[in-house]
Amino acid sequence: MTNLEKLRELVIDVFLLDPAEFRFDLTREEVDTWDSLALVSLAVGIKSTFGYHPTPAEAMSIHSVRDVIRILSEKGVRFEE
Amino acid sequence: MSFESSARKVFVLKSELPPLWTLQELGSLDPETTWVWAGPTVAARVSAQFRYAQTTPGDPLPDRVATLIVVGGGTIIDQAKLRARDSGRSIRLIAIPSIWGSGAEASPIVVLDHEGAKDIRIHSKYLPDGRAIWPELAASIPPARAREACGDCWAHALEGFLSPLAGDDLRQELSDVMRSMLALPLANDPRWFEVGARACAGQARSSVGLVHGLAHALESPLRAAQPSAGWHHAKLCSLFLYPVMQWNRTISDSWSQKLADYQLDEAAIMAVARELFNPQTYNGIVPILAEHWRSVLLNPCTRTNSTLVRPSALDYFRQTFP
Repeated sequence: MTNLEKLRELVIDVFLLDPAEFRFDLTREEVDTWDSLALVSLAVGIKSTFGYHPTPAEAMSIHSVRDVIRILSEKGVRFEE
Repeated sequence: MSFESSARKVFVLKSELPPLWTLQELGSLDPETTWVWAGPTVAARVSAQFRYAQTTPGDPLPDRVATLIVVGGGTIIDQAKLRARDSGRSIRLIAIPSIWGSGAEASPIVVLDHEGAKDIRIHSKYLPDGRAIWPELAASIPPARAREACGDCWAHALEGFLSPLAGDDLRQELSDVMRSMLALPLANDPRWFEVGARACAGQARSSVGLVHGLAHALESPLRAAQPSAGWHHAKLCSLFLYPVMQWNRTISDSWSQKLADYQLDEAAIMAVARELFNPQTYNGIVPILAEHWRSVLLNPCTRTNSTLVRPSALDYFRQTFP
């Protein structure tokens, strides 16, 4: 499984999305279940999936799936097709 | 504001234990302005202990009441919190639990049951002004109920300790609480009053997790499906502690490491969880668990579990535990 596929699966699971709803340009405003508590789940899931625990500031800055990719890319996680 | 403190803002607040009063101190208040609410199982004892006016919980309080002493379980203490804090009057509230587990006497949380739906209100104003321990009340608790209450205490302590919102200081405090709990029998023992209060005050500073997510989401459906089974919060927490902790440690390497970091005996803790577990009862409710799994996933407690609870985790909880 590629990192993009892992991220897609993680976001779908954390926010309880229908797989058809997922897009890599999905933003917080488009997802009803994207709240502060879901961010806790997301941070826990990022750690278990990619081995990196977002700092509090990084987690607070996550407003879209692209933000997750940006944060993880800065830590050396590669998101190539 | 940090990510952790932001999440706490919507879910939990910092909570310290209210000052501890003695029964003797509580017996020397002004009888003109002190009122007592007592639950039905302890009303007679309360009448014999205190000379204050005593009414049924929920009854109106005269304007002259300045102190309300409430003696009972979590539901009655929560009722008293609402009356003392939301009536627009300044009423000092002293809580005496008749059973351990809910920790209502030590937390800024009020749990209301609206036709089966849990309405959880969190505000520092709901922390009682004082609390007292009445050791003799422990003997009046039915043994099975006392055992389940011990499971509720364990769920608070363990989930609060493991919470992703817990810091080092809190983990140290809760690890001390759990070491004390390991020394106690899962039975009627008045020492549970204090450790239960400490466990609840601790989890109020971090969060709870999937055990509580399951308990909150399933209590109402289980009561409807099995009306004679006597489902209540502590019974559910006791039942789910073992499968949830087994699952947490199965999918996360850090689960065991966190316990080891604080010199907690993982085997001893899992033995307690196993002792509280009833496989026949669990296996009988799995269909209801599966039916309401999405509600479990959406529950705020589940979302602050120590490990990510994915929809596929249902497969684990569907298994038959030996």
